[in-house]
Amino acid sequence: MIREPFKYRWLVLGGIFLALATIPVWGSDYVLLLGMLFCLYVALAQMWNLLTGYSGLLSLGQQAFIGFGGYTMAVTTSYYNVNVWVSILTGGLFSVLLALVMSIFIFRMSGIFFAIGTWIFAEILLLWFSNWEFVKYGTGLFVKPPNPPSMTMIYYAALTVGVGALVTVYLILRSKIGLGLMAMRDNEAVSASMGVEIFRSKLFCFLVAAFITGTTAGILYVFQIFIQPYKAFAMDWTVNLVFIVIIGGIGTIEGPIVGTLIFVLLSQYLSEYGHISLLLLGIIAILIILVAPKGIMGTIQEKTGFELLSPRRLFPEEPM
Amino acid sequence: MEALIQPIINGLLLGGLYAVIALGLTTMFGIVKLVNLAHGDLMILSSYLSLTLVTYFGINPFLSILFVVPIMFVVGFAIQKYLLNRVLGKEMEPPLLVAFGISIILQNLLLLVFTPDAKGIMTDISVKTIQIGNIYLPVLYLVDFIIGCLVIFFLRLFYNKSFLGRAIRAASDDVGAARLMGIDTSNIFAIAMGIAMITAAIAGILVGMTFSFYPHTGSQYLIISFGVIIIGGLGSMKGALLGGIILAEAQLLGAHFVGPGYQLLIGYAVLLAILALRPQGIFGQAH
Repeated sequence: MIREPFKYRWLVLGGIFLALATIPVWGSDYVLLLGMLFCLYVALAQMWNLLTGYSGLLSLGQQAFIGFGGYTMAVTTSYYNVNVWVSILTGGLFSVLLALVMSIFIFRMSGIFFAIGTWIFAEILLLWFSNWEFVKYGTGLFVKPPNPPSMTMIYYAALTVGVGALVTVYLILRSKIGLGLMAMRDNEAVSASMGVEIFRSKLFCFLVAAFITGTTAGILYVFQIFIQPYKAFAMDWTVNLVFIVIIGGIGTIEGPIVGTLIFVLLSQYLSEYGHISLLLLGIIAILIILVAPKGIMGTIQEKTGFELLSPRRLFPEEPM
Repeated sequence: MEALIQPIINGLLLGGLYAVIALGLTTMFGIVKLVNLAHGDLMILSSYLSLTLVTYFGINPFLSILFVVPIMFVVGFAIQKYLLNRVLGKEMEPPLLVAFGISIILQNLLLLVFTPDAKGIMTDISVKTIQIGNIYLPVLYLVDFIIGCLVIFFLRLFYNKSFLGRAIRAASDDVGAARLMGIDTSNIFAIAMGIAMITAAIAGILVGMTFSFYPHTGSQYLIISFGVIIIGGLGSMKGALLGGIILAEAQLLGAHFVGPGYQLLIGYAVLLAILALRPQGIFGQAH
């Protein structure tokens, strides 16, 4: 059954965007902080969803790109006085280089071995950076950019990557590559025989995800001012992304957004309880997988057909 | 050359411990086709259980095995029966993510109860060594190795000879046919997980006596277990012993030549190289 897409979807999306874009005008500092975290986590979660939900690349090593992008930004600004925005983009590019090196090793593996491969890479980077004199070992680096940006500037950068990540995923999925990826997700052997270039499509998504994840990390660490290997390369990053996407709905574009909203609010609400917040997230995630394996948005789409951004193409002229 | 013998012998003994750490993961991986991402954390849970018994009840660490093993069997049985069995199916992600959720819950639960401080289970043999010529054999490593080999031996015996062990393997091959042969398959995977947790319990107590541990150490041992499986081949118990020894040798020789800070790093690098060159493992067969 093909349903008409939700009629007022551009109105809703435009409204959300406008509300986010004007936070510096109407919101308090606290709302601005929440808005920034929301945008950054949306970008990170969209990328994990692109890999795991659409490309069949289960990554447990997103922290490799977060740490690498963050450290590139910290080193270029603090050691070489590079402009902060240039250094954030450099962080993204270095993450792509890292992804290229990783792909030599891990693209020969599939399924769980791919996941373990990405994880081992992140662990190697953690150990390497905490034993590396150049980045002051495990003590960490202060980010001292020559042109420290204001909170509003950082917020708009976060909004740019958040929206950018969303648009990128949407465009990729609407393109030929996306069509191929979704065919591959359904049946890898058949889609390969129909001419889907599986390896190149997967690699393309891997590199895109590395770029956006590394850039997002750069913005995050400009805000945090301090970067340390045990935090930057911590598994906790991927844990959070997994929960966001699972709760929101894996393999949907809206899922990571809804998941991020819940995650950011929940972790703020529970921040005074420390580890209980992660504990609760774990329990919620397990319950969702057991009860509604497609997450909040996946279940809503299944039941009502409500979709804001559909990667599917409709041909309204043809009688269905 | 003389100086090399010590790390080589330590690596050999440590390999036995690594093998028993990986044993539960490799059997579940090979037999139930389940990747239990919470394996390391469940193992560390056993370390904490043993620590609690030792500190509060003054039980000998080796005797604590008698209590921790049945507890962990029940924990494993329940996790499999009430959580993982429900999501086992064609797709790989759901069981993986449930296990991942269990892992996060356990880590944070341990953090809440036991604080992030390093803990260790003290025993009489902690610092004892046996001297042979210029070589010192740490008694604890020797005990780890012997117990590790015994656990592997009995687990192999169980899966190859006992009715229950063969029933578990049969059910994993073909549930329908196993039922026709009169096997009650509803609980069979839960029993397999319980048995995997028995080995994890023993591994956890040995690790707790040998090294210091934190609530987050579990993931480190999960990676070590994966290393053992990758080198030794999927589901192979003999392979686990060889894989454990090779990984431990790589780590200790790496530490010897490059520096102790790089022990884990070199172990991981060797793993990655093996994964890239032979994705099915050194002793694994292509499938």
